[in-house]
Amino acid sequence: MEQVALEAATHDVSLWALFMQAGLIVKLVMIGLIGASVWTWAIVLDKYVSFNKARKQFDQFEQVFWSGQSLEELYRTLGERQNNGLAAIFVAAMREWKKSFERGARSPIGLQMRIDRAMDVTMAREGEAYEARLGSLATIGSAGPFIGLFGTVIGIMTSFQAIAGSKSTNLAVVAPGIAEALLATAIGLVAAIPAVIAYNKFMAESGKLQSRMEGFADEFSAILSRQIDEKLQPRQAAQ
Amino acid sequence: MKGSLGTSLVLHTLVLTWAMVSLSAPAPMTVGDVEALPVDIVPIEEMTQMQQGDKTAPMLEKPAAKPTDNQKIVEGAENAGNNDIDLKAPPTPSKKPTQVETAAAPKPSERPTPTPTPEQNEVKDIAPEETAPKPTEMAALPQAKPEPTPPKPEPTPEPTPAPAQTQAEEIPLPSSIPLPAAKPKPEPPKEQAKPVEKPVEKPVEKKPETKPAETAKPTDKKEGKKQETAKSSSSQKSDFNADEIASLLNKQEASGGGAKRSASPASTGSTKPSTASKLSLSEMDALRGQIQNNWSTIAGIEGLQGMVIRVTFRLDKSGMIIGEPEVTSTGGSSMARRTMEGGALRAVLKSQPFQNLPAEKYDAWSEVAVNFDPSELGL
Repeated sequence: MEQVALEAATHDVSLWALFMQAGLIVKLVMIGLIGASVWTWAIVLDKYVSFNKARKQFDQFEQVFWSGQSLEELYRTLGERQNNGLAAIFVAAMREWKKSFERGARSPIGLQMRIDRAMDVTMAREGEAYEARLGSLATIGSAGPFIGLFGTVIGIMTSFQAIAGSKSTNLAVVAPGIAEALLATAIGLVAAIPAVIAYNKFMAESGKLQSRMEGFADEFSAILSRQIDEKLQPRQAAQ
Repeated sequence: MKGSLGTSLVLHTLVLTWAMVSLSAPAPMTVGDVEALPVDIVPIEEMTQMQQGDKTAPMLEKPAAKPTDNQKIVEGAENAGNNDIDLKAPPTPSKKPTQVETAAAPKPSERPTPTPTPEQNEVKDIAPEETAPKPTEMAALPQAKPEPTPPKPEPTPEPTPAPAQTQAEEIPLPSSIPLPAAKPKPEPPKEQAKPVEKPVEKPVEKKPETKPAETAKPTDKKEGKKQETAKSSSSQKSDFNADEIASLLNKQEASGGGAKRSASPASTGSTKPSTASKLSLSEMDALRGQIQNNWSTIAGIEGLQGMVIRVTFRLDKSGMIIGEPEVTSTGGSSMARRTMEGGALRAVLKSQPFQNLPAEKYDAWSEVAVNFDPSELGL
């Protein structure tokens, strides 16, 4: 006759205890995942703030731009500052316009092309700034669960090795190791889920801002081309 | 970026500390007192042998045979029943017991009153000889006495006078004469029931009462004669070895049934305890090993493919083979088969006496069939 009695589980199963019981690799994985989570949220907060600011600046600038204020005046007020978004595009275009016009450009088509290119470059730079670090969000979102799973597999492996060593299949022996191993996957998911959500949200936001910039650039380009025609023709006529 | 990183760090530390505190240790599952569960590893055959019960009874927790009236415990009894002797045959309750009681009970009551025994002794001399053929009729008659008996008195009265004259002379004879004539045939056909109780009463009553009973004769000669004819035969038995016969015949309950007592209410189960024994794997292995050790095979024989040689033999309790083992074989080429048959037979004969076979399981290994599969040896 064999008697099998379940001992009361004496293991401490609090989170800290689970973390401390884990093996080195699992600990590293957990720390890395926590770091990834910190980074994710740092990016999220940063992006949230910066996108909100950008949107506000866009609105402000559009308001100022369409308020009927003279473009020269606007350029003069904006020219000295560090500009973002639409303002940066406007400043870049105006700078190019000024340079070309002051030196007495003769070809309206060349001027138009240069202004467009300047605006494109600025737009690309701005867009880059918007999408900066979103790539790491994507990486954390996709790789986080795998990293956590890796930690879990390693943890379960070691705990099974321990079981094999102790020659006891008692659940109390098995459970803490598996719990600690699963903690790694949990942390991985905790880091990855917000990362994925934030990545999708900020990508959509950035796309919106970029399309807004493109729209503005097209519009401004049209205005400038009209200006070029108006300003160059009398000059040509005079000559 | 630095600011957001800082806030993120602060938030994480806050969340983690909150998690450490509030999720510190989930309340341990209250399992209650875990009692050690005793687990017995029981061979299945014991289980099936425990299932003895009554087939028709309803299902109860524990199978049990019909409760028995007789509670005298017989040791080693395996079959449930009221018998004092354990019999394997199932009880056949209905017919025989009733006959025994109805047929036997009334007679003793009638017999003692008439007991015109003295004449019986006299009559016996003749009655048995003449009635020798009759008993077949007689056997049927006694129960329906009123009608058939009247005709009988007629034949008997005639002989009676003659013996009556020679009463004194012939008294010694009856013991000797009737023996050969009456014993063998008339008795057995007569009701089995009768002898059961007659011998008990008659031998006691008749011998001492023969003389006093003579007075009773005149009263009912007819009745007396009726029974005389019937009893003449029975009294003859009593004359020689009634006790022996009684002891032999007394087992009217040889109708079957075991002697195992059951007090619990009848519950479903099998009526027969399964007592078939089987050799355990290790015992079979031991037997196989003995033969295998003695089985010298010839390598390199062709035509062994699919050959199976079967050697059947009987063993006595000492493990020696009784008679000649029977060898049959299938498959393979005939040449190879002949060779291998001889080898197998030699192996079996060589390995006797078979040892390590449990004596209590003799019925399992009394007959052994060994399959030799030489096909694996083919090179």
